[in-house]
Amino acid sequence: MSSKIGKALVVGAGIAGIRAALDLAQVGYGVTLVDRSAHLGGILSQLDYQFPTDHCGMCKMLPLVDRDAGSQYCLRKGLFHENIEILLATELISLEGEPGSFRATVTRHFGWVDADRCVGCGACVDVCPVEVADAFNAGMSVRKAIYLPVPHAIPNPYVIDVAACTVCGACQAACPTAAIQLPEGKRAGFRILVVDDELVVRDSLKEWLVEEGFAVDMAASGAEALEKLAGHSYQLMLVDIKMPGMDGVEVLQKAKENFADLKVIMMTAYATVDTAVEAMKIGALDYLVKPFDPEVLIPMVARIFQDMAAAEGRQLEIDALVLCGGTDFVNPASGKNLYGYGVYPNVVTGLELERMVSGTGPCAGHLVRPSDGKTVQKIAWIQCVGSRDLPNGADFCSNVCCMYAVKEARLVKEKYGTQIEAAIFFMDMRTFGKPFQRYRDEAQQHYGIRFNRARVHSLIEADTGDDLLLRSVDLTGAVHEECFDLVVLSLGQRPAAGTAQLAETLELGLNPWGFVESVPFSPARTARPGVFLGGSFSGLRDISESVTLASAAAANASRVIHAAGGSLVPAEVTDSVRTGDPAAMPKILTVVCTCGDKLSQRVNTGKLAARLKTDPAVCAVEFIEQACTAEGWENLVERVKQHHPNRLLIGACMPYVYGRKLHELGRQTGLDAALMEVVDLKMFGTAGHGETGDKRAVLRDFLSGLETGLAGVKWADPQPAAGVPVCQRALVVGGGIAGMTAALMIADHGFPVDLVECSEKLGGNLNWLQYTLEGNDPRKLLEDTCAAVEKHSKIKIYRRAEVIHAYGQVGNFHSTIQEPEAEVRTIDHGVVVLATGGSAADTTAYEYGSCPAVITQKQLEEKLTGESFDPTALNTVVMIQCVDCREEPRNYCSRVCCAGALKHALKLNEQNPAMSIYILYRDMMTYGFNETYFTRARENGIMFIQYRPEEKPQVQVNNEAVTVQVFEPIIGKKVAIYADLLVLATGITPNFPAELARSFGAAVDRDGFFQSAEHKWRPVDSLTEGVFACGLALAPGNIGESTALAEAAAQRALGILARRLLPAAKVVAGVHHSLCSLCERCIEACPYGARTIDPDHEQVLVNAAMCQGCGSCAAVCPNSAAVLEGFLEQQMFEVIDAAIQ
Amino acid sequence: MNSAATQTGGSEMVSQPDELAPVKEMVRACIQCGTCTGSCPNAFAMDYTPRHLWRMVLMGLKEEIFSSRTFTLCSDCYYCTLRCPRGLPLTEAMEALKQIAAARHPSPDRYSTQFYKTFLQSVRRHGRVNEMEFMALYFARLKNPLFALRFAPLGMKLMRKGKVSLRVPLKGRHPLESIFRNVEALEDRS
Repeated sequence: MSSKIGKALVVGAGIAGIRAALDLAQVGYGVTLVDRSAHLGGILSQLDYQFPTDHCGMCKMLPLVDRDAGSQYCLRKGLFHENIEILLATELISLEGEPGSFRATVTRHFGWVDADRCVGCGACVDVCPVEVADAFNAGMSVRKAIYLPVPHAIPNPYVIDVAACTVCGACQAACPTAAIQLPEGKRAGFRILVVDDELVVRDSLKEWLVEEGFAVDMAASGAEALEKLAGHSYQLMLVDIKMPGMDGVEVLQKAKENFADLKVIMMTAYATVDTAVEAMKIGALDYLVKPFDPEVLIPMVARIFQDMAAAEGRQLEIDALVLCGGTDFVNPASGKNLYGYGVYPNVVTGLELERMVSGTGPCAGHLVRPSDGKTVQKIAWIQCVGSRDLPNGADFCSNVCCMYAVKEARLVKEKYGTQIEAAIFFMDMRTFGKPFQRYRDEAQQHYGIRFNRARVHSLIEADTGDDLLLRSVDLTGAVHEECFDLVVLSLGQRPAAGTAQLAETLELGLNPWGFVESVPFSPARTARPGVFLGGSFSGLRDISESVTLASAAAANASRVIHAAGGSLVPAEVTDSVRTGDPAAMPKILTVVCTCGDKLSQRVNTGKLAARLKTDPAVCAVEFIEQACTAEGWENLVERVKQHHPNRLLIGACMPYVYGRKLHELGRQTGLDAALMEVVDLKMFGTAGHGETGDKRAVLRDFLSGLETGLAGVKWADPQPAAGVPVCQRALVVGGGIAGMTAALMIADHGFPVDLVECSEKLGGNLNWLQYTLEGNDPRKLLEDTCAAVEKHSKIKIYRRAEVIHAYGQVGNFHSTIQEPEAEVRTIDHGVVVLATGGSAADTTAYEYGSCPAVITQKQLEEKLTGESFDPTALNTVVMIQCVDCREEPRNYCSRVCCAGALKHALKLNEQNPAMSIYILYRDMMTYGFNETYFTRARENGIMFIQYRPEEKPQVQVNNEAVTVQVFEPIIGKKVAIYADLLVLATGITPNFPAELARSFGAAVDRDGFFQSAEHKWRPVDSLTEGVFACGLALAPGNIGESTALAEAAAQRALGILARRLLPAAKVVAGVHHSLCSLCERCIEACPYGARTIDPDHEQVLVNAAMCQGCGSCAAVCPNSAAVLEGFLEQQMFEVIDAAIQ
Repeated sequence: MNSAATQTGGSEMVSQPDELAPVKEMVRACIQCGTCTGSCPNAFAMDYTPRHLWRMVLMGLKEEIFSSRTFTLCSDCYYCTLRCPRGLPLTEAMEALKQIAAARHPSPDRYSTQFYKTFLQSVRRHGRVNEMEFMALYFARLKNPLFALRFAPLGMKLMRKGKVSLRVPLKGRHPLESIFRNVEALEDRS
């Protein structure tokens, strides 16, 4: 290691946290990933399917470059990466210092189960007498007090729910590995001082607490309390606020002065609750309201005890902090609860429905209603529950509910077809993401899901029993009543619990909606340098936007770390080469875990060893007890050191668990992890044979399992495929705000960037944008960014230039740039970022072009700030939204037009309040906090008229007079509006150079935008490695969204640029040139574009860094010339032979 | 359809101080979701649904509004106000329309106006409604004997059950007179 490795702390291990951590780890930084819950994955661990693919696909986030550095299995099961330390049940307490040298304090809560010892056998669950609602299944099933936080995690140690556990000790006795240590006895060492002037209060408190096993003393006054505190050490003080003489607050103050670590709970009557809340600001931990309820008091004290007894404070030296704290759902039972959640059993939340259709859910994936188990035949979704709800303080749209409702409806239709009827009740269907409108149209047309534009005001149970009666009004005013078996509430979101407190600790501001405030135009940044925001912590975002923002936050954090002197990629990672002599005979050490003595009970281990040793490649067979425990593993490491094998085979259970350990073992012993293999003995040893089964058959089974492993590891190639050297330079095409942001981010990491802009002026669309809906100034942003780019020593700008030709692959692209009045030049670069932007679409609709009074929103923006513009001369302005958009052939939402129309309407209204403004819309896409401006526009008297695409407004132009006729659905009549100005929102079309993109290996989607590798999980990547896109070339979006995409793209590019050599993975394809007939089928078959033909040498080449080892090439090759390392034919035959012997 | 187009826009909408302005102010943030209509127990009898009415208020369609009976049918149950996702004071808006209508758009021919007037007249005179007197006056004022006949079966039924007092009301006692006078004075002042 040549220099310091920078370190980042990522708080929140949901998908955004995982994305940020992986991105930082991939450029070589050390990352500590913490989460307050006991599992990874956040809410995504509970969701099995995501739109628009209706699959999971989370694993697509795993690194593709140097993929052997981390886990390569289902990401919902778990994650390891050699640069990431994961701390669960851990919270961030404080942050001190400056960017580049922060000191973060985290507290880790230890459960009573030692995760290293727990083998997941479940014996504890069988004996645990306590049953509570299972949060994983959204409370729809029960679990024990000792439980698995998620059923699918690997490794999956049990944890104890401290609040529910009665400390009966049954599990401790049942645990075969002594992994459980209950805190019996320790409570006697936890001293509590109860301070109250009333004897009866003191006595009853003491009685309760002593019964719980705590040591309790009493004091009758403040003075006596201070005396006692001085004489004895106490962990907790319960103090009454209202006492004669010294009151509770004073006692608190004085006690805190001398005993800073003392925890204090205030006791108060209802009248002095405010004082108690004030007391919390000067150091009290919590308060209790009289009369005391032991049900509240005991868990509160128990939790404090638990925090102190089994929590470990830890200081982390970090350079940057990334917050990915996520969001919570609104509590549907709170407030007026008009939909009867918690009252009617068949009203469920969206999350509960996801659990119901999940195979690991409470009804094993069968959609039956909770009240009576009847199969659901009619199901309804109610949108905007807790969103767009002013009386409940939610003047925002939660962004994700429309799409998750459509997804859930499609899922149930997919599963039950015509047996189920699905309807969605909504106000505006907000399908503002790139592929969403088509997804929704398909739901309606192909799946037959009903979309009812109606708000259901409340629901009641029908007379027929458990059915639910929904009453709604359609647009004509007709009232409909309909019965449903199950009603799903699409719950809105709220800031995550504890957001305000964390923000206060970290000195971050909150926005008006209670989320953490980000910097204008930079959603990943906060006002505090060095602290960044990923995911939905600062607002409401879907998966795609969350991971984008997480990558953007990682980029910003990485820039801070880099500036602070943290190196990019420590030398040992880049230069890791397998140590193995290709000519040496395999010398395999076989280690078999006996799982206590379970193995020897079932087979004769001597015979097993003897049989294995008949293979000359096996140098030794060792048996160890419990390889999964720390002691067992140490034992194993010793054996490896003792025998010096050049291959290692481990027979144990749960092979996934060993991923990280094998890497460590490789470092300790010099044996590359690629030459080690773990076979799952449970799979072989249990099938068909009971504990008393035929020992010979069991032996055959175990042998077969181990021999398949031997066959595999024997053929492992000790010499890996050569890596790919990287030209550490980037090309950014397009000098708009996205291109400039990406270029700056890359250049700030010390890598040269060539920035090619087709026009004379940098800035793209920002050159005409004057202001934003929120009132921020994009001109300042443009000025600052241009200045930074122009004076950056690492950025070379080509103006009025074009990339006319390109070829090459990740690490080594060659592009030809043409500048005016200059010779063409070819530059080499390792990655390319396509940021070619987009523009306001042209149109011929609504008489555009035939009359100067018909203009586009872009023209209005230019007009509004022009000097000759006189708003008082306008009486009536009409705006039409979705012109040529959201219907084929341009069937996507451009995201910015609704906000743009509001922006202009509010401006016009401000300049001339007497002006009549009409906005004709299909669905107002005022997602997120834009909803507030929608409300404001309504309040300011702007009229909104909804039209349907089947009945568009009609425009007549007579000289300068414009008449707009539109059907007003509420009054059920056609309305004629005489407009002085008609403004059309034509949406965004991309300026994407399809030909150029293809020569880089990237694809173009059907609307001409950049085709992401995966909309949700890899939004800025191309399927071909090394090609990235951002800004409008990728998808419509506003300035902040575009810069986030740009920073994300830059971060993904840095993952490649940061290395001098891209290492090849263990499983990678190759070519036997002597067998190859150059039919090129493999080139067509490769989804990653890793195969090319070298015309000079007439050979098919494989780019080892791009190859993901999928094996498509080997499958299509007619000559067995395409091979996959780790899956060679001879090797596979031997494996099969061993398996079927 | 074109011929039936309602005209709006231009300068017409912003002429003169608008008597609907206070009501507009109350319902401006309306998003036409229809929660009010769905909640309204009397919507079935209204000529325009509440949502429709708010839309007309926002569009300034005075004539249609004041010839409608929607707001007179509001029974002040407050369901719409409770459930409105915008938190709008819809019941108050209904009341406001009633008052504007009574003050500035008297429609003597309207049955409901006559009904309320006659009803209160009887209450003012006797401290309670006298059914016979009320019926006689109400039907006389409507000048529509056929209308009165429609109620004959109901009247018979009520009489059989003793719900209609046949006693001649006492004269000279006006127990509520001072209250009514006070209200009149207050209304004059406002």
